[in-house]
Amino acid sequence: MSRLTGMMLVYLSAGMLLPLAVSIHCGDGMQFALLVSGMLILMLGLFLRNILGGKTDYDLKENESYLITLAVWLAVPLCGALPYIFTGVLNSFTDALFESFSGFTTTGSSVVSLPEQLPESLLTYRALTQWVGGLGLMLFVVAILRKLTQGASRLYEAEFSGTQQRKLHPRLARSVTRMWTIYVVITFVMMVVMILNGTSVVDAFCLSCSTVSTGGFVTHSSGLAILPERTLIWVVVFMFLSGVNVAFLYRIFTLKWHKLWRDEELRTYVLLFVLAVAVCTTAFWTEGNGVEESLRYSLFHIASIMSTCGFYMPKPHHWSFLVSVLTFVLIVVGASSGSTGGGVKLRRIMIILKYIANYFSRMVHPNVVFRVKVNGEVVENEYINKVFAFVFLYIMFIIGGAFVLTLCGCSIPDAVCMAAANISNLGPSSLINSVGANLDYSMLPNLAKWTLTLLMLAGRLELFALIAVFSPAYWTANRRFRIRKVNKKTVVKNR
Amino acid sequence: MSKIADIKYILRFLGIVLIVEGLLILSCLIPALHFADGTWREITQSGLFTFFVGLFLVVSFHQYRNMGNRRMAYLLVVLMWVVLALFGTLPFLATGTLVNFSDALFESMSGITSTGATVFYAVEWLPASILLWRSMTQWFGGFGIVLLVLALVPSMGINKYSLYTAEASGADSGGKQTTTVASTVRHTLGVYILLTILFVFVLYKSGMQVWDAVNITFTNISSGGFSIYNNSLQRLTHIQQYIVAVAMLLSGVNFAMLFNIFTLRWELLKGKFEQLRFYLGLYVGASIVVVLSLVFRMGYGWSDAVRCGFVQTVSVLTTTGSLVGDTSQWWMPITYLMVILSLCGGMAGSTTGGLKAMRVLILFRHVGKTLRDRLHPHAVNPVRLNHKPVSPHIVTNVMVIFMIYVMVVFVGIMLLMLCGINATESIGAVIACITGYGPGLGISGGFGCYSHFTVSAKLICSFLMIMGRLECLPVLILFTRAYWKR
Repeated sequence: MSRLTGMMLVYLSAGMLLPLAVSIHCGDGMQFALLVSGMLILMLGLFLRNILGGKTDYDLKENESYLITLAVWLAVPLCGALPYIFTGVLNSFTDALFESFSGFTTTGSSVVSLPEQLPESLLTYRALTQWVGGLGLMLFVVAILRKLTQGASRLYEAEFSGTQQRKLHPRLARSVTRMWTIYVVITFVMMVVMILNGTSVVDAFCLSCSTVSTGGFVTHSSGLAILPERTLIWVVVFMFLSGVNVAFLYRIFTLKWHKLWRDEELRTYVLLFVLAVAVCTTAFWTEGNGVEESLRYSLFHIASIMSTCGFYMPKPHHWSFLVSVLTFVLIVVGASSGSTGGGVKLRRIMIILKYIANYFSRMVHPNVVFRVKVNGEVVENEYINKVFAFVFLYIMFIIGGAFVLTLCGCSIPDAVCMAAANISNLGPSSLINSVGANLDYSMLPNLAKWTLTLLMLAGRLELFALIAVFSPAYWTANRRFRIRKVNKKTVVKNR
Repeated sequence: MSKIADIKYILRFLGIVLIVEGLLILSCLIPALHFADGTWREITQSGLFTFFVGLFLVVSFHQYRNMGNRRMAYLLVVLMWVVLALFGTLPFLATGTLVNFSDALFESMSGITSTGATVFYAVEWLPASILLWRSMTQWFGGFGIVLLVLALVPSMGINKYSLYTAEASGADSGGKQTTTVASTVRHTLGVYILLTILFVFVLYKSGMQVWDAVNITFTNISSGGFSIYNNSLQRLTHIQQYIVAVAMLLSGVNFAMLFNIFTLRWELLKGKFEQLRFYLGLYVGASIVVVLSLVFRMGYGWSDAVRCGFVQTVSVLTTTGSLVGDTSQWWMPITYLMVILSLCGGMAGSTTGGLKAMRVLILFRHVGKTLRDRLHPHAVNPVRLNHKPVSPHIVTNVMVIFMIYVMVVFVGIMLLMLCGINATESIGAVIACITGYGPGLGISGGFGCYSHFTVSAKLICSFLMIMGRLECLPVLILFTRAYWKR
């Protein structure tokens, strides 16, 4: 465990070379602080990898993957908070941690109220944290560590717990490589497109990292309003794409288009998008906004929400309540499974809705067997029950988180929206409300920030990896295992 | 052919219900004459009208005594509540206490589903007969749902996937009562009437007038929540408030279990206390949180805090909606906690609304089971309740109801917001109506009322009440195509 964690920290410090280079190039005076924090992380990483975890091999024991997942997900953002503190951008430890977790979990909630005042190097760093977290840290581990043969799939499953998606290639390592390749390619393409449309290099880098990872950190306090119309359309397109399963993006780029439309989840995603845009536009239009303005904002808004990017823009003059509720629902539904987005994931929602439809049919015809099918394949009841449990737990997390937020003085709708926006890794909850163009989280008390941080992590790890480690069943597992071993030995002795 | 016969059977059944309702309306003549509030003529008219409509239906369809197609039972159950609510508006409209049909429907539906949401800002000026009618609808509605869950629907034989089967609704969790429907009805009725008489007597002994005692008992034993005072329970003495709290607490217990406890059949109850334990544990735990926050956040004295905390929490948990104070002024987290508690509700097979303690228990255990499954893929660990494995059908049933509940809440909030009601209030109103708690948040919360809602909002709320009372599925299934196909 400590070996893998140390490994990740070493890579993190390597990643900090990029902001350092930016800093030196732009001369924003942050190079020393970045260097120090990078060195610190490197030393910590080396210490963990070589001294604490020197002799452990990469062969993971049963269920150890959950612990490792959690450890990496705690250690990396914790150390990732160091640059914010050393550069003095964020004063309190809580704020730095919040920002760092928000980055790595690709949430995009920010305590920085005026991002345009941040030095370029830190903007780059912020964007980079999102980009690394986008596909998931465990996927990063799997991609890097070729030695991890057995444990790899376990780690992969611990993070992507149970969306039951097909791999791109029978061999995990190869499919992960493909995923990373496509991820890098898309980011690069978006960056080039933005630069060609006249955005500055730093902005283009930051925004494309935020978009592709569905993070949502912005470089300016007015959100994406700084971008010209043409670029904005491209951002919408890439937001939309980043809510799609990465595997499908691979198919798009390898020109296997005939396979694309066959997938039910993708179809649902597209249909839902079109439908939501239509509803949203109508709602804004009936409230008295112009058609063009409504359509433009709706496209942006729905793309931003369905992919759980969480970018914002100045809102139309008249807000519609229908859009508020619709937004909330879409946030909880989230992006497609296997994408970089958060939320419950479309696939799960589809399964639940299909199951409920079946349930009604079964009430009418009690003796007929109905099965839930996705893509023509039967989904087993076991799995459906897991999905139900997941969604229930998700709602409980929102309810529980909202309770703590009400303790901090938020009103009930605000608390619920904030909890949902953070557990779904969306970011600014002001997207749901009519008030204000931009709400940053800096006004909240520390308790609220900690709660939101926990929710972000829970949402990103899809709850189970987080809860599993804290459940008694996890620890009894190892004990029982040991007892069984002892018994075997005694049996041998008795012979 | 058979469908027509089924509908006639349903009409006959509704006739019986209407006869009972007509008699209940007529019984409101007693206060009308005693207090001479001048409404006896209108009450008699509406009572007799209801009675004769019922009689007409029973007489004309008297030969239809069996249901050909079991699934028509869903229609029957829903129609029963709709018809009861529709005829229940007659006294309000006839006496002119409410002039709008939507108001009358809201009030009547709120009574018959024992919700307790009201459109009257002040109730003390109402004629006595109307006050009794409001209490009576709740009492009857509360009894109706217990009867429905424990006796009628199991006997009508809605299929095993239905929510009302003995196991799913928790009717079994108090020990099997008796085998025949008639005796189940008798026992439930016995327990219900006994509790009513008991609490009327106790409240009378504590220094209340019979009129007040009857009304308060009617609305609290049914976990309804209407009141004959503007400020609900606040006017009562402290002892009386505690007595009412006990009544509410009992109304949240499974009636089959209550019967077994009263008749001392311990052997039937052995090992079946898990739901009760959860319910009481939740109650005590939440009460302590409320009491502590009342003391340390709101500056209450200890005795006041304990009284308000324990009485109000049981009122919320059993979705009664009686108030010991203006809860809309309470600290925000307590209000939030109360909303969540009302979603949980009392035990299955009781008069309370909400999801029911048993379902919540099963939901949590199912999460635990999923977790264990993932960690120990080869172990067998079913969801257990009362030390027995719960069948997977029941678990999925519970899950489906939970999901539908959540969806209905969302749709309800969306619709109410479209009617121009603000976010806080529509969240409060939807949850209050679907769980049967009553007071919402904001203006409609506390001692407030729903009179400022628009007509469409009131109709939506009435619909939500019936959805919540019948646990969504029977209402929703009527809107599916498969239901009406042969």
